[in-house]
Amino acid sequence: MIIDTDVHERVLYEELLPYLEQPWRRYIEDCHWIQEKHMPYTQPAVAGVDRADARIPDGRPAGTDLAFMQEQLLNANSHEKAILTGALDPSPSSMHGWYEMATALASAYNNWQIDKWLDQDERLYGSIHIAAQEPQNAVKEIERVGSHPKMVQVLLPIDDKLWGDPYYHPIFEAAQKHNLAIGMHHNEPPLYYGKWPKYFIEWHTLIPTSHMNMITNMVFNGVFDKFPNLKLIMIEGGFTYVPFLMGKMDQQYTDLRHEVPWVKRMPSDIVREQMLFTTQPLESMKKKDFMQIVDQMGSEEIISFSTDYPHWDYDSPVEALPPNLDGDFKKKLFTENARKFYPKF
Amino acid sequence: MEQVVCHTDELQPGEMMESTLGKHSIVVCRASDGHYYAFLNRCIHQGAPLSKGKLCGAPAPTDNIGEYNFEKDGDILRCPWHGREFDVKNEGRMLVNEKYKVKNFHVTVENNQVIVYN
Ligand code: FES
Repeated sequence: MIIDTDVHERVLYEELLPYLEQPWRRYIEDCHWIQEKHMPYTQPAVAGVDRADARIPDGRPAGTDLAFMQEQLLNANSHEKAILTGALDPSPSSMHGWYEMATALASAYNNWQIDKWLDQDERLYGSIHIAAQEPQNAVKEIERVGSHPKMVQVLLPIDDKLWGDPYYHPIFEAAQKHNLAIGMHHNEPPLYYGKWPKYFIEWHTLIPTSHMNMITNMVFNGVFDKFPNLKLIMIEGGFTYVPFLMGKMDQQYTDLRHEVPWVKRMPSDIVREQMLFTTQPLESMKKKDFMQIVDQMGSEEIISFSTDYPHWDYDSPVEALPPNLDGDFKKKLFTENARKFYPKF
Repeated sequence: MEQVVCHTDELQPGEMMESTLGKHSIVVCRASDGHYYAFLNRCIHQGAPLSKGKLCGAPAPTDNIGEYNFEKDGDILRCPWHGREFDVKNEGRMLVNEKYKVKNFHVTVENNQVIVYN
């Protein structure tokens, strides 16, 4: 059994039309609006950023069809649950202007997600999309769909905004109130001095650095002290960087606590108590190396398996991990850590 | 064991197809030179079905930064998932490290039939 903590469903823009009021609808229908996307690279893998065998047989992009996802992922691997994390396209919180449209898109996306995915397969759980640039509107959206039993987290892209700033705290307050975790996933281009590096391989290698930026920002801006029941899941950054970051934050906190007196626990304790990390994309490791990193984190309970289906850097539940991991630990990794982490599970 | 997997006309140079050899799923590739090659249809990394990838070429290693010399078009089997590159004309060895290879099978052509042996 698996609780897969990162599965990307994708919407075709025209599928959002029935969920959009005017005037927003016409910007897509008549003006063919699409969110700006900047990736300057040619196709990194055989089929762009998707698994080549995940394209829908009729030619639609990967992740757009529930039946195909059921066949290729959910049924094939005995998934108990899968948490949908969107395709960050559209990504309302990443829009650089026109936040009213972002707000409308977020609501449309949530309604579409509930209708077409969450209500159609009991294994699927969802992420609430918001336009976080305007926290008051974002809170309204969380209030609107936050009590849906299958919405388990609020999704925030790791982008050019650091969400720990008190300006965004109403979002965390609303999430905590509705028993929702915060899920963060990098979007483009979240790293490299806010720009793109020259090659995709550089960008993809350094994704964990953008996760480190965000965790450090959230911790030292006091989010976890202010919202002690808030949970944060860092999605698709892997976990091998975590021991380093815990040690570094602890060391800095020990010396520089006076600058952030609202932080009252060692950062590594905050990480262990309030965060979870998805495993993908896994480096190839032997059991000994893998368990050493777990040991350095001081907890077996803060990582959770994810596939990242249908993307090219997918991790197979049967092939990606080192063989011979202990049974109890494997159970934590595949199901129990996620079950314990999400307030709604 | 031996098995006829296709007629020679069924694959053009640069094309590949999935087939079976006993209980194995295999991928039969016809390289740019018209010869046939057969491999276990399972990537050595995480087991992806290689037949869903692409038979393509690859930029040759170079000493000049910024230079792309695309070569071996039709001879490189690229995995559908993480994109690792295997040279079909070099026993299915991985471009980045020749120590690693996909399992290959002996292939002959007789009377326009492509036959794979295990
Ligand atoms: S499964 Fe083939 S490259 Fe990973």
